[in-house]
Amino acid sequence: MRTPLPAVVGTAAAAALVLAGCTATGGDATGTATPVSGGTLTYATGDAEPTCLDPHVGGNYPQALVSTQYLEELVSKNSDGDVIPWLATAWKQSDDGLSWTFTLKKGVSFTDGTAFDAAAVVANVEHVKDPKTLSSTGYLALAKVDKATAVDAQTVRFDLSSPDSSLLDSLSQPWLAIESPTALKRSQAVNCESPVGTGPFEVQKWVKQESITLVRNSDYTSPPKDAAHTGAAYLSKIVWRFLPDSASRYAALQSGEVDVIDNAQPDSLVAAAKSSQLRAIDAPRPGASDRLELNSSQAPFDDENVRRAFITGVAVNPGIKSLFFGTAKRSYSLLSSVEKDSYSDPSLFAIDTANAKKLLGQAGWTGRDSDGYRTKDGKRLTVRFPVSTNQSIPAERSLFEQIQQEAKGLGFDVEIQQLDLSSWYGALAAHKYEIVSAPYTKVGPGVLDILYNSSSITPAPSGYFANNAQVDSKQVDSLLAEASAEPSETKRHDLYDQVQKIVLEGYYVLPLYDQQNHYLYRTAVHGLRAMPTVSTPSLYDAWLQK
Amino acid sequence: MPAVRWVGSRVVGAVVVLWAVATLIFFAIRLVPGDPAEAILGGPGSQASQASLDLVRREYGLDRPLLVQYLDQLGRLATGHLGESYSLKQPVAAVLAAQVPPTLTLAALSLVAAWLLAIGVAWWSSGSGRVANAVASGLEVVASAVPHFLLGSVLIVVLSTSLGLLPPVSTGTASGIVLPVITLAIPVAGFLGQVTRDSLLDAAAAPFALTARARGESRSGVFWRHLLRHAALPGLALSGWAFGSLLSGAIVVESLFARPGLGRTLLDAVTLRDIPLVTGVALVSALAYVLVVALGDLAERLVDPRGGRA
Amino acid sequence: MTMIAALPRVRFAPRVPALVASVLLLAVLVAAVWPEVIAPVDPLAIHPADAFQAPSTAHPFGTDDSGRDLLARVVHGARASLLIGVAATAIGVALGLVLGIAAAVGSRITDIAVSRLLEVLFALPGLLLSLVIIAFAGPGPIPATVAVGLATAPGYARIFRSRIRAVASSEMVEAARVLGRRPSVLLVRHVLPNALAPVVVLATLGVGQAIVWASSLSYLGLGSPPPAPEWGAMLEAGRTYLAVAPWMTVFPGLAIVATAAATTVLGRALTARGRS
Repeated sequence: MRTPLPAVVGTAAAAALVLAGCTATGGDATGTATPVSGGTLTYATGDAEPTCLDPHVGGNYPQALVSTQYLEELVSKNSDGDVIPWLATAWKQSDDGLSWTFTLKKGVSFTDGTAFDAAAVVANVEHVKDPKTLSSTGYLALAKVDKATAVDAQTVRFDLSSPDSSLLDSLSQPWLAIESPTALKRSQAVNCESPVGTGPFEVQKWVKQESITLVRNSDYTSPPKDAAHTGAAYLSKIVWRFLPDSASRYAALQSGEVDVIDNAQPDSLVAAAKSSQLRAIDAPRPGASDRLELNSSQAPFDDENVRRAFITGVAVNPGIKSLFFGTAKRSYSLLSSVEKDSYSDPSLFAIDTANAKKLLGQAGWTGRDSDGYRTKDGKRLTVRFPVSTNQSIPAERSLFEQIQQEAKGLGFDVEIQQLDLSSWYGALAAHKYEIVSAPYTKVGPGVLDILYNSSSITPAPSGYFANNAQVDSKQVDSLLAEASAEPSETKRHDLYDQVQKIVLEGYYVLPLYDQQNHYLYRTAVHGLRAMPTVSTPSLYDAWLQK
Repeated sequence: MPAVRWVGSRVVGAVVVLWAVATLIFFAIRLVPGDPAEAILGGPGSQASQASLDLVRREYGLDRPLLVQYLDQLGRLATGHLGESYSLKQPVAAVLAAQVPPTLTLAALSLVAAWLLAIGVAWWSSGSGRVANAVASGLEVVASAVPHFLLGSVLIVVLSTSLGLLPPVSTGTASGIVLPVITLAIPVAGFLGQVTRDSLLDAAAAPFALTARARGESRSGVFWRHLLRHAALPGLALSGWAFGSLLSGAIVVESLFARPGLGRTLLDAVTLRDIPLVTGVALVSALAYVLVVALGDLAERLVDPRGGRA
Repeated sequence: MTMIAALPRVRFAPRVPALVASVLLLAVLVAAVWPEVIAPVDPLAIHPADAFQAPSTAHPFGTDDSGRDLLARVVHGARASLLIGVAATAIGVALGLVLGIAAAVGSRITDIAVSRLLEVLFALPGLLLSLVIIAFAGPGPIPATVAVGLATAPGYARIFRSRIRAVASSEMVEAARVLGRRPSVLLVRHVLPNALAPVVVLATLGVGQAIVWASSLSYLGLGSPPPAPEWGAMLEAGRTYLAVAPWMTVFPGLAIVATAAATTVLGRALTARGRS
């Protein structure tokens, strides 16, 4: 959370963040209580039900949420954002940055009895890179990895096609978790039903559209360095339920039907804060902030003046305050506040409607039609804003309506189009948008390379492209390339700062807030925490008070 | 042999209906924007590689002409193969086997509850004068005008959050199904009640009912033995409609109460363009509809005091 | 969904409910035509600082999550909701008429073909049909209207078919036939007017149900796009805040239920009058 402020203030902000990280571990209020073993915890998720429990396949957030309970990664991060050992105990990068050697933890086995060793890691890399696996997120994260080789039983070497300073960040993500090579040899359908890992729990049963039952792995030996205890988990069983309706989900938590919920809505958070029965964890997702991106590749946002008019003419703070009841903090950064490299500049977003109108006039949008919208050469100042009903929460959709209404005052005709997920991606692929909100979760500043590199304008074979603002800048591209190859953390930090500065000052993006990720849980639950990597919940340290 | 002919025509009709449903769904979903290959590759917006896309299109035959795909699909369906769900990567038959029972339970219980409510209100108001009749009639009209999702949300807040009487989500226990059933049953009960009441009033004024009362039979005796048989007829004729309405309502109720079932499966399958799964669900609900109509027809023949349809 | 497979039969026409229903529908109609007369406040004007206000003299129905006046939104929403209800019913009735007449007066083959088609449409759950149509055309008031209209058409068609048949075999038509009238004349002069008399009643009953159904599409996120005031969309938006701001749900909910109930009462009263 860095701002262009004196260094002292910067440090204070960083310290505040660390404190926030501490409150992100549950049960702190009763930290003196002795953990109790046993019991069943019911977790209700509002995210979509995964179609496959192996996060190598496809690779989305719902998969990450649940797989955090039964799969583990080579490395993790602590609440300061530093990479820490997990299944790998040490690592070394070659001088040319083209090869990484990892030393693996000894004495770890998968829950099917297979030993965790270098061959297992190699099998996992091959699994993710195999087109038949149909991996998207993991595949992208390993783009620069040519191959992995087992040097000996406990040592594995990754050979890269070009240096990748984000490799450790990538490997800390659940989409590159390590699974049993024996289990991976089964058919994909079977592996999707019951992936096998080294985690504190294992998948016992998956009843579609209802729940996944996870049971304790009593032989568990491999917690990450920042876990609160060692040995097997306290809970004997987790029932992982799918409750898509947010009101029903909160009602179920209130009635004690479930113990933990995710995707808690702002009004629930406020209500829960008044309840002595409930506690909250605020764990923003890493990667990009939640933001509106303006499509700079076509009219009217190909004109910087028009972009600037929109971004400095539409006030979002009052709406964020009232719709989120103060649970979401306004962001002025491209990156999530949990990212150490996040660069923030509130001064760019000061509201000045008079100036915004002047800018629109300078851009030639001087006419007015009968509905009061601006026109230029008889064409209305219309901007299309496709919204995915599956991705936006009600408060956010209302905020978009307010933005629409605010922009109307400037003369913009904002067309909000509510689409289902398939049609929404379709609209993006066909460039039928001027504004879009597309959340992107990834560990580390490497997300900038995905979102703002001009190469990300070229669509993937499926039509997907990540650079929705269509920032096409040689300078940004070369800075990103430099950062990717830069081994020094401080120098990398500078390079990422420059990139963010260029994008923010080009008025391509209107940051709103962090990607909201709130958990609510009953006071009987202790030791719940959100992983500092992608903010998924870890139930390893959790226990239930009898 | 009228019975054989009856069964024969029903079977032929059912086959035609199923074929038409399969055809309609296939072309409708393929013409909708959205790539089925993405459903297979982990959902829309996947960043799948060209290699993966090619592989999937080849493996699932999505690269062939649409007509060939259609004939292939029809051939498979004809031999009883529903195929594999794109998004769930499971045989459609297995998905249906898991999802049909919860929806069927919900729909059947709701239909029973709706009938009980409708008859109960009819019974209560039949002998209680004009005011009771007007109140009952008003209740029925309002019940039939309430959207499921509004009713369900209000019931959750009142019965569950405020009073703590019932669990707000389906838990797999017996009490978990109460709220969904009530939510689904009330609007249908409103319709059935309206129809039943009208015929009940007709029947009550009919000579046979008056004769029965004159013979000294009790009010309830007349109600249960004579009136209801007449009154239930138009309602039974509506059962096919009611069942279809329950299936549509199930989509909403299952999302609201987080119940597994066909409704939610269908909603997700349409969103993901999962053709085999949409087809499977549509075929099952069409089959169920055909069966319910046939059973309703049969029940009508049995209940009708005239011993057959005019 | 319309319960039109069997026409309700009412022995006596209760005057008071019918009167109340008429007044209510008239009010809705006035709101639909001249909303600004009843509620001069702009239904789209946002005031984030005034969000979630309980009903008061300033805002008789309270305000919503963006601080918009709910009375204004409910009143201005009448037009969109009524339009959806009327248009959907019109589509359903029109299509039902075409199919029903074709089946009733066409050849045996036509009858079988149409009857089978109706069976197919009946066999598809209405909401599935709607989902597919909306996936195809994108969500919005027009696809939602078409979806509801299409889904109700088979019900209307079935009734029209059986009524035309019943009238065609009635004594009156038989008499005309004996008098040597040509079949086409018979159809237009005698059969259709008698058979289609209940269209008005059916349509009245149908409008309310179409509004209810269209609101279910809003719950699934397939209805009118924001920020247009439309009852179903308002209801869905309010549902999220049922515990915090119940008025956001209560007023649009009342509007939907009252309108649908009023059309039912009026439709039934009309039926009763048609019989007496």
